[in-house]
Parts: sequence; C-alpha cells; structure tokens
Amino acid sequence: MRAAFCVWLFAAAVAAAQDLSFVACPIVRDTKTVPCFLAEYQGETYFLGIQQDITAAFHPPQLKHEVLVEGRIKEGPRVCGGIPLAPLSISVVKEVNPACNTLLPAEPGIEAPPAPRGAGPSSHPLAEPAPPANETLTGRQEFTVRYAFNDDYVEFGSIAVVRRAAAYATKIGASAVKVTGYCATTLLSNGGRLVEKAGLAEKRAQDIATLLRGSGVAAVTADWNKDAEPGDGKTDASRRRVTIEVIP
Amino acid sequence: MHRLLLAIALPLTLAAQYNANLRSIWIEPGGKERLPAFDLFDNALGKLGVIQASGPVDPAGHPFFTPLGTNGRACVNCHQPGWGMSVSAESLQDRWRSTSGKDPVFAAFDGSNCPALPQDLEKSHSLLLHRGLFRIPLSWPPRNADGSPKPVEFSIEVVSDPTGCNLSPKYGLKSGQPTVSVYRRPRPAANLKYVVAGGQNIVLKTGMLADRDPDTGRPVSMNLMSDAREPSLMTQAMSAIMGHEEAREAPSRQQLDAIVAYESQIYAAQVEHIFAGPVVDPEGPFALGPVALRDRRPGVLGDNDYDPVFGQFKSWKSQDYYRRSIARGADIFMFRQFWLRDTTHINTIGLGNPMKRTCATCHNAQMTGQDLSAGWVDVGTTNYPTWTEPATWSESSELPVFKITCKPEADPHPYLGRVIYTTDPGRALISGRCVDVGSIVMQQFRGLASRAPYFANGSAKDLREVVDYYDRRFDMKLTEAEKYDLVNFLGVL
Repeated sequence: MRAAFCVWLFAAAVAAAQDLSFVACPIVRDTKTVPCFLAEYQGETYFLGIQQDITAAFHPPQLKHEVLVEGRIKEGPRVCGGIPLAPLSISVVKEVNPACNTLLPAEPGIEAPPAPRGAGPSSHPLAEPAPPANETLTGRQEFTVRYAFNDDYVEFGSIAVVRRAAAYATKIGASAVKVTGYCATTLLSNGGRLVEKAGLAEKRAQDIATLLRGSGVAAVTADWNKDAEPGDGKTDASRRRVTIEVIP
Repeated sequence: MHRLLLAIALPLTLAAQYNANLRSIWIEPGGKERLPAFDLFDNALGKLGVIQASGPVDPAGHPFFTPLGTNGRACVNCHQPGWGMSVSAESLQDRWRSTSGKDPVFAAFDGSNCPALPQDLEKSHSLLLHRGLFRIPLSWPPRNADGSPKPVEFSIEVVSDPTGCNLSPKYGLKSGQPTVSVYRRPRPAANLKYVVAGGQNIVLKTGMLADRDPDTGRPVSMNLMSDAREPSLMTQAMSAIMGHEEAREAPSRQQLDAIVAYESQIYAAQVEHIFAGPVVDPEGPFALGPVALRDRRPGVLGDNDYDPVFGQFKSWKSQDYYRRSIARGADIFMFRQFWLRDTTHINTIGLGNPMKRTCATCHNAQMTGQDLSAGWVDVGTTNYPTWTEPATWSESSELPVFKITCKPEADPHPYLGRVIYTTDPGRALISGRCVDVGSIVMQQFRGLASRAPYFANGSAKDLREVVDYYDRRFDMKLTEAEKYDLVNFLGVL
C-alpha cells in the first residue's frame, strides 16, 4: 500500500507543471451538490470543472461529444477524484459520439468544490458585471475574443468583450476598427496535430465585424489569416481568436 | 393508496359534471357585442379571467374583429378571448358542428390539412379539429428581408406526407414556389408585454445579432412566434392578414396600429379552480390571475428562490387539499432537480450536458414561464427519437416527416448528428441552420386550462400528457402524486 502511494506520489511529481492536450470522452460525476466534469487520459483522471452558471468562465463539456482538453496540471489535492488543470481550455468536438455517455452516481467521499450556485434555482441575484474598464481606457486599444477549437460560437463572456469594444469605439468616435480573425493548430500530447477547419478565421472575423456594425460601430474592416497558426502544446488555445483593434 | 385513487377519481367525476355546463363564447368576425373590461369564461378546470386593460372594447369595425382579407376570417377567429386568446380543439369541434364546417376558421388555405383536399369533408380538417393545428406554409429556402435566399446548411426531403401537401405539385416542396408545410398551434395573443420584453442586441444562444423591429430599429425578444420568424406584433399582424386572412391588399397602418394596441392591453389567466376555488389570493402567490399580469413588470428573471417565476406558494401549503397540491406542484416546478440533457440551445450554450437543474432553469421568465433569452429550444417534441409520435413506423401519425441532411461543411445538430428525422424542423426553416432543427420557441404558461391541446404540435391532449412527456424525455422519475400536483399547478396559471 505504502509502495503504491510512493509510486503515485512520484508520478504526481513528474506530472507537475506538465502541459496536456488530449481528446477524450468527458465523464460526469454526480455529487450531493453540482456535478463534476472529468476526463481520462493515459489511465489518469483529470478534473475539468463543475456545473455553474452561464456567467462562469468555465463552460462544461458535453456527453455525446468528445472534448479537447488543453491544460496544465495544477499542484494540489485531487478535486472530485481528478487532478485539477489550470489554466484550462476545453472544446466540445462537434461531431456526435454516442459512446461518450458516462454519468456516474454520487459516492460518499467525492465532493464537488463549493459552487457559487447549486443545482436548484439561484439564491442570489446574478452578479452585476464588473463596470467596464473602458472609462479608464484611452488611445488605441485591442480587444480579444477567444474561441473553442473549430468553433465560431461567440460565448457569453465573448459577447461582453464585443460589447466593451463597441462601447469604446463609440465613445471615442473611432476612426477605424480593424477586426482580424485567426485559426490555429493544437499540438496534442501524443504528438498528433489538430488543425482548425479552413475558412474559420474568415468566418470568425466576419461574424465579429457584423456584431460590431450591428452595435452601431462604423468604419469596421475585417481581415483574416487563412493559414492556421502552428501549435506548441502550451499556448494553442490562446491563438484561436479574433482581435478588435480600435483606433482613435 | 385508496385515498390517492379517491382524490383522483372524485375530481374526474365532478369535472365531467362541470363540463356539461360550461359557458363558452365564440366571437364571430363582424360581431357587435361589446367586450367588457373584465370577463369570465368557463373551462374544464375552472374559470379564465380576461382583462381589457384599456376598458371595454367595441368590436364593430375594429380591425382585430373585422375580416381584412378574402376568406372571411379576422384575427379573432384564432385568438378567442374565451379560449385564452387562442383556440382549443374542443372549441373548433364545436364550431365544425354548429356551422357544418362553414366557419372561416376552417378556410382551405390553412384551416385544412391541405387546400387541395375536398373541403367539405371533416377528415380534410383533422389536424385542426383534433389537435388545433393550422397549416403554416413556409417558403423554401428561407429568405432575407430583401427577398434574397438565405444560405442553408442542409437539404430537406419529405419522408411521409399524410396530408398530401408537402408532395403536392401545387403546394409542396417541389412546386413552382417550393414550400414546406408544417402544422402548429396558434399562440395566445394575450399577456404580450411579457412576450415581447427583453430584446438584446446579441442573442445569447447563438452569439449572433437579434432581429430588429423595423419600426423602431430596436432588437426584439424573438419570443413571439414558435419559429421567431416575425420580429414584432406589427409584422406578425401584417403577415397574418396577408396569409391567414388571404388579403389581397395590405392593411393600413391605422388598422395595424389598432390591432397591436388591442393585443397589447389584453391579459388572460385562470382565476378559479374547480376544486381549489378562487386562485387570486392576497396572501398567496402574487402571479395568479390576469390583474397580476396587467400590473407586474415584464423582463424579470424568476429562476431563483426569493422572487420565483410564479411567486411564493408557501401560504397555500397549510390550506385545503387542492391548494396544498398546487403548492407542491409549484415546488416541483421550481425545485425538483433532474438531469436536463441533449437539449439544443440549453445544454449547448455553456451550461454543459447534462446539467442538474429544474424546470425553472429554462422556463425562467417571471409571470409567463417562457425564457427571458430568445427562447427557441429543441426539447425533442418534433425530432426522432424523442418526438411525440409516431412511436414506430406501424403507428400512423397525421404529421409529415422530413429527413434533414446536414452539409459536410456545416456543424451538425448537437445531439442528432448529420441526419435528422423530424415532424417540424422549427427554427431551422427560418435560420437555415442544422443546429436549429427541431427548435421551437417556448410558449407562455398562462390560461393553459382554456387552450388544450399543448405543445406547438398539439400532441398533448391535456396537461397530464405534457407532464408525462417531460417525465419520459428527461427520466425525471416523477411519482403519480408528483404528476398530479404538477397538473394542478399548471391548471391554475
């Protein structure tokens, strides 16, 4: 038993600060509060996050779909039975995979971390969004909208970024707003590469330009890099993006 | 157990007696009887209260009550105050019997299964008579406001066409004007300040721009119609007059304004339950009855335990048998957790699949139980295998079945993949997107007892069937007693 524990400790130490990129079926673990979302890779279980509200930074993966996990192993105790990852990006693979269907019941001793909201109705008003930092902004500014892999969905948090950019451009009467779309490659931990689909950088850029114009911003131009940026297995998630450059 | 059986059987017997003496009023177009500021109408579960907030209404010459097209119909044909500003299958069967099928509500264009059918036969109107469904002919592909075709992510084929309309050389998908016919319930034209509230510039569920009111330029809620195809009450009225009323000339601005003004001041809700008595109770839940609907503020999120969707039912928990049952039903609606899964535009918007939540997560808008966000959701009623019918191929259905095949470059439907069988593609017929196949905008929960059947496809003949569908769909494991309480709760809204 002690030997097994030492082996586990050694493995955990080796794994510390390790970047991981892998595709797996997510696993949902019920608890007495909110469910945990996990994924297994090479015999190890990783904790991705818990069910929260749409305003949260972490948006859980989905059963019936594989998930691309890009994260760094975080030191510290296991959470909900899995090794935590931080920072972490997860992307739901678009094609349906019925094999991804593991929903585990709650078990004594496995608890989700404290959740801002439980599984029932909310007990407190939605937190007012932090006042936009735009009031203190001056001059040329760049706003960045990030995406899940192979996705052009502008998520809740990204809508806020677009709104901030639009508000700032309107406030300063921007002479030009340059939107640039990018797509990227993910270098997997097993050496494989995943490249985002062709045309995605253009789609992302055009969509954001449309949102800005629809928000009353004039002088919006859209451009894109059609070639996927290379992957390094560490910062790939940050390269799936659209930048909005607001020029006075 | 015996007490439970008695509790169920006794109401059924009493309800049957009560039904024999219902007061119902069908308002015909061109009628002259003044509509009072407050009126009561019987329904199977008690009484519906209808308020004209602007005071009594004189229907004579009023465009809501006057045929503006060529088939003799007016708005009121399908939006009857006595039937919750919609119509019920029961009321339509009465009209068929009393008019020998001549009422303009049975107009060939959309009051029959297909205009090509012999119109004097009852069976040609079976979807309207049995399920309250009107034919909704939608041009294919969908078009932008300027008339240009929208890009479409999928192909559509007709697999089964029991009405004959979708394969018709004159009305069908391969006709000179390619058209998809789907069959849907008319939504209640009441409590509309809640339905049109909450428009945001960017739609949370799609990350795309919301439609805009062509008059004001403001973003709209996109919660008005089952497929969100019309942005405002004004455009809906125009579309209904040119379509449902078969007008050859557009109505005047003055007529449209009068229709919108009328619709915007009418509130309808249950005021009395046959066993629980009056539901408007100063010490009880604030949301019940039409006065509350008139007076409350729209656009309030009710998915919380301090200001919930239909108010607090705590005081009813210590009252008579039926009020206790209704209060338990309200608690199930607000607090009973289950695994909400495989539901496009709920699980797909960053909440995860599955998520452990309650009915109020999606039905979150205070007073109506709609979604405060643009509310189209694929709960599964129209898409195989969770569709409401047919169970198997051998079980006949009166609804058409379409096969949707998503193009390789498009994102697939999130839970059904690239080939989807559906009785109504819903929002996808407007957006052209695979992700939207089967998504239908949520309906308001008010005045339910007056306007059966339920779901946009009229598949649930009563509230129990609605509850049963959700129980099956989400494996809620509701007990008989819980279902009974939920039905009682829904019946007082």
